[in-house]
Amino acid sequence: MGYTITEKILARAAGLPAVRAGQDIKAKPDFVLAYDFPGYTDVYFKTMKEDFGIERVAEPERFGIFIDHMVPTATAKEEELHINTRNWCAENDVPLFERHGIGHQVAAEVGYATPGAFVVHFDGHVSQLGTFGTLAIGLRRNVMEAFVSDTVSIRVPDTVRVNLRGSLRPGVMARDVFHHLVRRLGPSSCRFQVLELGGPSVAAMSTEGLQTITGLAMFTGALTAIVNPDPVRLDYALPRARKKLEPVSSDPDAQYSAVHDIDLSDLEPIVVVPPTPADTRDLTEFLGLEINAGYLGSCASGRLEDLRAAAKVLDGRRVKTGVSLHIVPTSQELMAAAAREGLVSTLVEAGAFVSSPSCDYCFGRIATMTAGQRAVSTGTLNVRGRMGSPDSEIYLCNAAVVAASAIEGRIADPRPYL
Amino acid sequence: MAQPNLKMPVMRGRVAFIFDEVNFDVDQIVGVKNIKITDVDELAQLAMQAYDPDFAKSVRPGDLLVGADNFGYGHPHYPPMKAMRHLGVTGVIAESFSPGYWRGEVSMGFPQVSCPGILGFVRRWDEIEVDWEAGVVRNHTQGTEIPFEPLPQADAEMIEAGGLVPFLKRQAAQQREQKEHAHVPSDFRAI
Repeated sequence: MGYTITEKILARAAGLPAVRAGQDIKAKPDFVLAYDFPGYTDVYFKTMKEDFGIERVAEPERFGIFIDHMVPTATAKEEELHINTRNWCAENDVPLFERHGIGHQVAAEVGYATPGAFVVHFDGHVSQLGTFGTLAIGLRRNVMEAFVSDTVSIRVPDTVRVNLRGSLRPGVMARDVFHHLVRRLGPSSCRFQVLELGGPSVAAMSTEGLQTITGLAMFTGALTAIVNPDPVRLDYALPRARKKLEPVSSDPDAQYSAVHDIDLSDLEPIVVVPPTPADTRDLTEFLGLEINAGYLGSCASGRLEDLRAAAKVLDGRRVKTGVSLHIVPTSQELMAAAAREGLVSTLVEAGAFVSSPSCDYCFGRIATMTAGQRAVSTGTLNVRGRMGSPDSEIYLCNAAVVAASAIEGRIADPRPYL
Repeated sequence: MAQPNLKMPVMRGRVAFIFDEVNFDVDQIVGVKNIKITDVDELAQLAMQAYDPDFAKSVRPGDLLVGADNFGYGHPHYPPMKAMRHLGVTGVIAESFSPGYWRGEVSMGFPQVSCPGILGFVRRWDEIEVDWEAGVVRNHTQGTEIPFEPLPQADAEMIEAGGLVPFLKRQAAQQREQKEHAHVPSDFRAI
């Protein structure tokens, strides 16, 4: 019987000839990533020194630290956290990526998404590196193990395979594919497993779209998501790769705990209704609901295809007076590309507030909503209080829906604008 | 034996509450508006206000919580279970858990037990016990038992050690010991 891509990557990382799902192993991550955040990186740095006597990391090239939250800072305390992070990286010779954009996107741009690599982070949205055949798992606090020892203790996960066929209709985007997966498979369908995307339509899907889908995998209960790397993904990832590794793929006779088929041609735009990522509904059910704010950005969305979709809807039109539309490209590289394409001017002329990359809009640190307000958002999450007051509401949807809703001041169907 | 060679913490007490909602977001235990409170006494007083305002008065040290499928879904934070531990709760038994929540609480050394069927197996205030060796949850009130799913090795060790940092320290000590043994030169041994 064959092996899944996950089993192959973990076997190599564990230094074993082969591993099977269900096996408890100690695996050495090729890369250990984190963004600085109070209670996380500052605690790892302190614990390493004070509890484990580690003055310097042994292999600094295995690490990558991002400053993408609290950018720009609003308080002196936040700046002190960043200073501590900068100092630690300088002392340890660890690469630091500050203000390059949202770390999970930047990680791909700067080569941590090495096909075949095993990557750990505390944050689960790192799963999006799976687009490039990288096994990237968010361990929450347990990522500390990778800071104080060479390996992490994990159980080799089972894999749920999802085959995509058909193609998306206009106005339907990768966001809708993911939310449809939650609806079809269920919010606990992939618990403690890997979501592997395959099938005839994957090769035709954009890399950006795959980053969106894999980056949200946690809301199916998955530990991460992964795609068997194809020529398009390898063309992007291999020249940037930080480590020379042989890309691997699942064997045709690999064993899956479940296999699902999704026909993309059937899909409609979806809105995810607060306060849970599990409540996925048809957009048509919520048309006309008044909104105060729109947010297009985050590690899940905010890439060129999202910006293009919004620009297409907003071109020559205006955001409704009283509605705040925040558009935040996911990285500097993407923002510069959007500017070269003329997307930024289209969005700005329509009345959007376009900001440099930052995670801060997604969790309500800025553009904070007050009680009774309602947003349409391409952020990662719609739980209570995520973007401000616990009594504000977040409706998650694709970028085109955000743009159309900003024009009308209520949840709107983007298709008439396309 | 479900968790061989490990001294797992005692889990015996009453079912202090049953969360029968699937995909339960634990932040609701203290309320999202209170999630940034760090004072554990204050958190404990706020806990469960939406479910049972007398909870803090009725809960006793050793009590346990019971949950439904995919317990801990959403974007779980640590304060709700910090509050529960402060009130004396010694663990959670659920039909199944959301991985993010599971990892977070296991890293705090807080026992979590995945037990399909638990919802139909207990009533509130039943006296129950997790028998780690036998791999079953016993209901002493009703005189019944039900198997639970063995924990992954590292998770069991982390709970036994009392959390992430003690687990990592123990592991580091073991690795040092192995290295020292491996590197003793043979002529040194002869002396």
